[in-house]
Amino acid sequence: MKILVAIKRVVDYNVRVQVKPDGSGVATDGVKMSINPFDEIAIEEALRIKEQGKADEVVVVTIGNSDSQQQLRTAMAMGADRAVLVETDSAVQPLQAAQVLLKIIEEEQPGLVITGKQAIDDDNNQTPQMLATLWNRPQATFASQVEFTGDNKLNVTREVDAGLETIQVELPAVVSTDLRLNEPRFVKLPDIMKAKRKPLETKVLADVAPDLQGQMIEVLSHEAPQPRSKGVMVESVDELINILKDKGLVG
Amino acid sequence: MHPDKLSSLLETELPGMAWSMQPSDLEKFGQDWTRFHDPQAAVVFFPNDIKEVQKIIQVANRHQQVVIPSGGRTGYSAGAVATAGEWVVSMVRFNQISDFNAIDQTVKVGAGVITEQLQHFAEEHGLFYPVDFASAGSSHMAGNIATNAGGIRVLRYGLTRDYVLGLTVVTGAGEILHLNKGLVKNASGLDFRHLFIGSEGILGFVIEAEIKLVSPPPNQAVMLLALSSLDAVMSVFALARGTLQLSSFEFFSDRALKHVMSHRGFDNPFEDLHPFYVLLEFDEDEDQAMHVFESGMESAWVNDGIIAQSIDQAQQLWQYREGISESIAHYTPYKNDISVKISQVPQFMQQLEDVLAAEYPDFETIWFGHIGDGNLHLNILKPESMDTAAFKTQCESVNQHVYGLIDSFAGSISAEHGVGLIKKPFLPYSKSAEEIRLMQQVKQVFDPNNVMNRGKVVD
Repeated sequence: MKILVAIKRVVDYNVRVQVKPDGSGVATDGVKMSINPFDEIAIEEALRIKEQGKADEVVVVTIGNSDSQQQLRTAMAMGADRAVLVETDSAVQPLQAAQVLLKIIEEEQPGLVITGKQAIDDDNNQTPQMLATLWNRPQATFASQVEFTGDNKLNVTREVDAGLETIQVELPAVVSTDLRLNEPRFVKLPDIMKAKRKPLETKVLADVAPDLQGQMIEVLSHEAPQPRSKGVMVESVDELINILKDKGLVG
Repeated sequence: MHPDKLSSLLETELPGMAWSMQPSDLEKFGQDWTRFHDPQAAVVFFPNDIKEVQKIIQVANRHQQVVIPSGGRTGYSAGAVATAGEWVVSMVRFNQISDFNAIDQTVKVGAGVITEQLQHFAEEHGLFYPVDFASAGSSHMAGNIATNAGGIRVLRYGLTRDYVLGLTVVTGAGEILHLNKGLVKNASGLDFRHLFIGSEGILGFVIEAEIKLVSPPPNQAVMLLALSSLDAVMSVFALARGTLQLSSFEFFSDRALKHVMSHRGFDNPFEDLHPFYVLLEFDEDEDQAMHVFESGMESAWVNDGIIAQSIDQAQQLWQYREGISESIAHYTPYKNDISVKISQVPQFMQQLEDVLAAEYPDFETIWFGHIGDGNLHLNILKPESMDTAAFKTQCESVNQHVYGLIDSFAGSISAEHGVGLIKKPFLPYSKSAEEIRLMQQVKQVFDPNNVMNRGKVVD
């Protein structure tokens, strides 16, 4: 079985994000970029499945500019076998991403698609669901555990509001990962060398999906959150209650 | 002084002052991270401003009472430990950051500002406070100043001393001094600021400091290398220093790694164990990093290596180094914090290994340190069955050999932890009799009645 993992290059989770002064977006010049953390978990899961002998190839795909090669190389240094870059300099919205990924699926014919439940830059949490719908295959979102049952099915434990829910899906399927699924491995330096020799295929977005729909959402502006006003320390419960009363927050 | 008598004295002479004689407070504020002394504070004060500190010192002078400045209590030399009914003065309420100036790139910090608080403040203003170490989440700025704290980026950025542009202090005589006032250049006679930096509270209280901030470095990469031998550590340092723009070069032994893994529940970052590990932080440059790794492999210095792919992974790798002290804390370790010239580290370490093998055959010894600064932390772990006092006595007897060796290398018995109480008997290994006498005389100038942290550093 082949596993397709879809990843995205994003501003590193630990970077203090700055909005550009003109509000046109978030500053990325000189900013540390990484694999979207949920997608990193997706790569790790695919590699673990392969290491258990349940898959024989892990292909990683991304849609983005040429700098995204760096994240694909990282994925291959982690252990992915090859990579596909669908190159574009434009921002891609979830439905477009799902349409492009569908084209890659049609080409690659994977038995399983794993991807992060959302990208931490736009927090859409839509692409895996849209992809499963377009592909007309089952989806198992927010996975915290994935188990093969042996009859071409997967038992997936999902993190839902009420707790944990376990569902069974028939393969091929789309799985989206939650934070507790696994802890991604470190990258060994010798594996970075090996990754340089692994195949990385670049395709042009317009060639992959010539009939792609236009952007359905227009971003008007970006704004930093209002700074929170500083808290005050109170000496006693009475003082706290008085302050709350003064502000009309308690009767 | 009997507690009742003391409390009535305080009511009369220091009315309105916040203080506590609760046993839990006396214990908490009467000690640092060392565990070789029973804390014996008489009272803990919580002054709100410089005038209150001055009043405490004046009253202490009147009654020949010793006062001890207390910060984040993360010291390793018992420099802020009360052992004989001293008055402890906690600076926790001096926790304000103010007067940020974007042109000067300076900021004022109160004595009790926590290191991490300043680091975050700098980051929020697009700047960087580079002094950093494992206890940055607890240590106070005045404590850092009083010990001239170093840590993990000294290699590139220097010590706390290099960031102090001004100090407001109260001397042991109760005088308020504004030293250097934030100036970059100031050639107007003796600069007492530098006497207070590293003074371990024996001259007076640091109340406030003007601190210089710097521009943040470019994106940093973090690499952990597994090395084949002690010799390889310095060879890889020389190689890395010539190739990468290094911010940190830290090392630790396999035993240190094992303690961190078992204490924190971490997995081994490699498949196997290796004798030594070095952690490098440097300006991101994958090609050069790869060059260091491959050259190290070819020379058989490097066995294996990992490079962080995200800031999160970089922080995880740092945990293997920064978690060491915490992971061995429950063994009541006897800490040696020693330094020699960088170029002499390999020779020194080899000879020290021989001394350790001969003198500590039964004790577990843990090596780690800022090897790029010539600073080694050698921790001797107390066997569980051994009594703490007997353990300390035995470590001190071995110190003769260890410190004798340091003396022969013209090294220091305390690189960054300070002298305090624990290293005081061994000061003659690093300072001449003349220097020690002059230190005592300098102390007398600022603190004529010897009320400031009496018994620490020098008599």
